[in-house]
Amino acid sequence: MTDTAPSITREQTARVQTARVQTTRVHTALFAEVTQKLRLRAKELLESGEVVSVIGWEAGRFENQTTPAFITDANKVDRLIFNEYCANTLGKYVLSEKLDGKVAVCVRGCESRGINRMISDNQLKRSEVYLLGLPCPGMVESPEVSHASEPSHAPEASSKLLSKCAFCTHRQPVVFDEYLGTCEATDETLGGLIPKPIDPSERFSDVEELEALSLDERNAYFEKLYNNCIRCYACREVCPCCTCRECFVDQARAGWQGKQNNLEENRFYNLTRVFHIGDRCVECGECERVCPMELPLMKINRKMVKDLTTLFSVPEAGLDSETISPLNTYDVADLEEYL
Amino acid sequence: MSVVESNSDFQPTVLAFCCHWCTYSGADLAGLNRMNYPANIRLLRVPCSGRVNPQYVLTAFNKGCDGVLVCGCHPGDCHYVSGNYFAKRRMMAFKRLLEYTGLEPERFQIRWISGSEAGKFRDVVTQVCEEIRALGPLKHSASFEAFAEQGALGTVNALTPANKAEEVVEND
Ligand code: SF4
Ligand code: SF4
Repeated sequence: MTDTAPSITREQTARVQTARVQTTRVHTALFAEVTQKLRLRAKELLESGEVVSVIGWEAGRFENQTTPAFITDANKVDRLIFNEYCANTLGKYVLSEKLDGKVAVCVRGCESRGINRMISDNQLKRSEVYLLGLPCPGMVESPEVSHASEPSHAPEASSKLLSKCAFCTHRQPVVFDEYLGTCEATDETLGGLIPKPIDPSERFSDVEELEALSLDERNAYFEKLYNNCIRCYACREVCPCCTCRECFVDQARAGWQGKQNNLEENRFYNLTRVFHIGDRCVECGECERVCPMELPLMKINRKMVKDLTTLFSVPEAGLDSETISPLNTYDVADLEEYL
Repeated sequence: MSVVESNSDFQPTVLAFCCHWCTYSGADLAGLNRMNYPANIRLLRVPCSGRVNPQYVLTAFNKGCDGVLVCGCHPGDCHYVSGNYFAKRRMMAFKRLLEYTGLEPERFQIRWISGSEAGKFRDVVTQVCEEIRALGPLKHSASFEAFAEQGALGTVNALTPANKAEEVVEND
């Protein structure tokens, strides 16, 4: 069997990545300005007592890496930063933080859609969060930390767009209380500053690529995926749709999920996870990013999103908090395949 | 993938989820009328096709079923008004997902069979069982290795599901 031609997916990613490098310098100014504003507003919000904590990012342990920050003390707002290494999507942290009171959280496109998602799933009230909208040019991968013996070499700055950002359709927050960017929150007005997000109609290209394979090839592909899963459940933990108090994998008495790490159980977990969130997935790509085994989870997630989109012509998830997810409703005029 | 020479002797296990109000009555009627259909089918009565959790289907495959059939009332006839409409959407998405991840389309089927359609019940069950008999037993695992042996992994590997476990072994 011959190798297939270079995929559309990789071409697209490369295109976005090139655009990314060209605009890096503009971004440095943008990031500095946004960080300034963010610290200022965080301080004001905490001092006025309007919120009990601010969720953002702070410098990580290594250079060119960040980690989520939970600031509760107005004197510590200077820890907050916003730069091109803010890979974590923060939305889900709101659920645990809000127990103490109103929470301010930084929202880019992915976070804002996650927040909408949790509001429509009754996990969150809009009044429980204060949303600080941030402009997002797409984030880049933190350079690999070298384990070489000489520690003098700082990791080189990378410019590889995170794969989740290459497929992002909404870089700008779709809901916020205030916007900390430099211009109005539309991709158009941000114009040359920020490379255009991927066209929504192109976002299924990687699924189509897999669909074109034969049944056996697809089977092998996904068996490889299941075989490599270590069932750490990180993909569940970060997902703004996975908000059940008790997940099916933890229902020991019902016994849905066996504890063995084998193909059958891993397939059961992965397919069930996808099916539980597929009608509501906001395509933030966080599950795929956190997977320690680097499994291409979006290729399953997007398959379900694609089918539901084409079968029931539903809009992208998480753009507002009112739309009912396609599997929670029906239409008597739905396509009939089972007569 | 092992190719079974002839599957005609293979006795598949096929699980059929039947809604109490329609398909199960249809099956009853088929029995009353002394209709013949393959004994490979195992009926499992559920209150409504909307009760069929996709996890049941996965569990059935994991526990050794070679095929699964989900049957309910025709759209519009649901005893609970709308259960089968929800089931339909759910199964449409789930069937596509299973096929995408490598399950033969014949192994998971959905049909609407009413309480009076004894003949249709017999025909559907016979057809489904024969299709699955022809396919042979469900490949439970290791088809990846078999596939790799055939040297046909080029395309699959080009699409790279990252394989950390292998990397670690190589680096050691
Ligand atoms: S994060 Fe990756 S390895 Fe962990 S359970 Fe999810 S798919 Fe499996
Ligand atoms: S399934 Fe993954 S991409 Fe979808 S909402 Fe959850 S974390 Fe985001």
